[in-house]
Amino acid sequence: METRARVLLLTALLLPLAGCSSMSWNGDDQAAAEEPVAVEPDAVEGPPPTVIEPEVERREVKVGAIDAENIEVGAYFGALSIEDFGTNNVYGLRAAYHVTEDFFFEANFGRSKAGETSYETLGGNVELLTDDERRFTYYSLSLGYNLLPGEVYIGRGLAMNSALYLLGGIGSTKFAGDQHFTVNFGAGYRVLPTDWLAIHIDVQDLVFQSDLLGKDKLTNNIAAYIGATVFF
Amino acid sequence: MPSISTIRSIPLFRSTSVLVAFVLLSLAAGFAGVAAGADKELQQLFIAEPYLELHAGPGRGYAVTNVVPRGDSVDVLYRRTEWFRVRTERGVEGWAHEREMVKTLLADGSAFSIDLGDRAGFASHKWEVGVLGGDYAGATLISTYLSRAFNDQLAIEFTASQFLGNASNGYTLDLGLTHVFRPDWRLSPFVSLGTGIIRIQPKGTLVLPEDRTDQTAYAGAGLRFYWTRRFFVRGEYRTHMVFTSRNENEEIDEWKLGLAFFF
Repeated sequence: METRARVLLLTALLLPLAGCSSMSWNGDDQAAAEEPVAVEPDAVEGPPPTVIEPEVERREVKVGAIDAENIEVGAYFGALSIEDFGTNNVYGLRAAYHVTEDFFFEANFGRSKAGETSYETLGGNVELLTDDERRFTYYSLSLGYNLLPGEVYIGRGLAMNSALYLLGGIGSTKFAGDQHFTVNFGAGYRVLPTDWLAIHIDVQDLVFQSDLLGKDKLTNNIAAYIGATVFF
Repeated sequence: MPSISTIRSIPLFRSTSVLVAFVLLSLAAGFAGVAAGADKELQQLFIAEPYLELHAGPGRGYAVTNVVPRGDSVDVLYRRTEWFRVRTERGVEGWAHEREMVKTLLADGSAFSIDLGDRAGFASHKWEVGVLGGDYAGATLISTYLSRAFNDQLAIEFTASQFLGNASNGYTLDLGLTHVFRPDWRLSPFVSLGTGIIRIQPKGTLVLPEDRTDQTAYAGAGLRFYWTRRFFVRGEYRTHMVFTSRNENEEIDEWKLGLAFFF
C-alpha cells in the first residue's frame, strides 16, 4: 500500500512539471522570457529533478596491459671456420629473451657448408665427405651477460645505446653424418639505433669432440657474424 | 627516343646474402609499421615521491637526463626488463626503474603495482623457461622446458630434449604436470608426472637399423633453488618408461641440472 501511495504522489508531482517542460518547448522564446517565474532553470531544460540520479560516476582506474619488450628476434650472416675444412659462409636465426638488464637467454640456429681439407685439395680425387655430409648445422642455447653497457655517439646529435656482452651455452652440431654435443662461448657487441632495432657483431667458438680424421680430438670452430634483431 | 631495353635486368636474389638482407629489411620495415601504428591508450601514472628520475637507457649506469616532479604524471610506453620507458607531460621520454615506478600512483590515488622479479615472484608466477644439461641413460642430454602455472603449486610443463650418445642419438618431447610442495621456500622440492614420445636414431656403422619412435611415460622429482632476481637453479630426476613394440618395455633414467627463469 505504501509503495502505491508513493507512486501516486510522485506522479502527481511529475505531471505539472512535465507540463511545464512541454510548455517551454512548444512556446516561443518570448513566452519563456515573459514568465521568468518560480520555474527553476534546471526543471525547464533538464529532466525532472525529483528523480535523483547521481551524475558523478565512480571513476574506474584500471592498470592497462603494459607492453613488455623483452624478446629479440633476428638473423645473422658471417663466416665460420670449420676446423680442417676451411672457412665458409654461415647464416642463421637468433632469438633472445632479456630476463634482467644484465642477463638474457639466447637461442641460435645456424647453417654452413664445409669446404675441402688440405688433404683433399692436394690429393686430387679424394673425397672424405659426401656433399650432404658437408652441411654444418648447429643450434645453441646460451646465457648472455651484458658486460659493458653504454652509449655510442655519432656526431653531435645522435646517441645510441650499446652493450658488449658475453655469451656461453650448450647445443648440438650436425656435421659429417654425426651429431656432436657442442659447447659455445664468445662475445658480441650490440648497438641500438632505435629502441626496437639492434645491430649485432658476434664472435663465437663452437667446440665439439670429433673423430672424423682418425684421432678423437676437440675441434674449435670459430664463427664471426653480423646481424640485426628487432625487439618486441 | 631512348629504349628501355638499355637498362640491364638484374636478378633480384643473386645470392643467399641478398636474400638474408631482404628478409632482414622486410622484417625491420614490418616492425617499424607496427611501432608507428601502435596508437593505444597508455597507462598514466602520477609521481608521489619528491621526484622520479629518468635515465638515458634501460640500465643502472645510464645518466639521469630528466627529473619529473611530484604531482606530475607520466605515460608508460613499454617495459624492458626492470625498466619502463615513460613520457612526461612535456613530451620528454626516458627510462625509469621498476623500484621507482611502484612508488607512483594511479589516477584514483591507489598504488601502481606490478610483478617484480623477486622472492615473491619466485613463489607465485605464471611462466617458467629453463635450459638444462645432463645425462640420459649414459648419453649427453640438452633439455629445455616451458611451464605455465595454474596456481602457485601446480603447473603444466612442456619439455623438449636432445640426447647424444655413443650408440644412438635422438630427441624426446614430454608433456606433464609439476607439483611444487612449498613454493614459498627458497629451496623447494617438486614432483612431476607426464607422457611423451622418444625418437631414437641409432648410429650404425656396419648395420643401419631404422629410426624408431615410441611413446613414453615419466615420473620425476627435483629441487628448485631461488638464486637471484628472476633466476633459479633447477635439478631433476625423471624415470621414463618406453613402450616399445617389442615384448619388454624399456626404462630410462634421466638426470639434469640447469638454469631457469620465471616471468
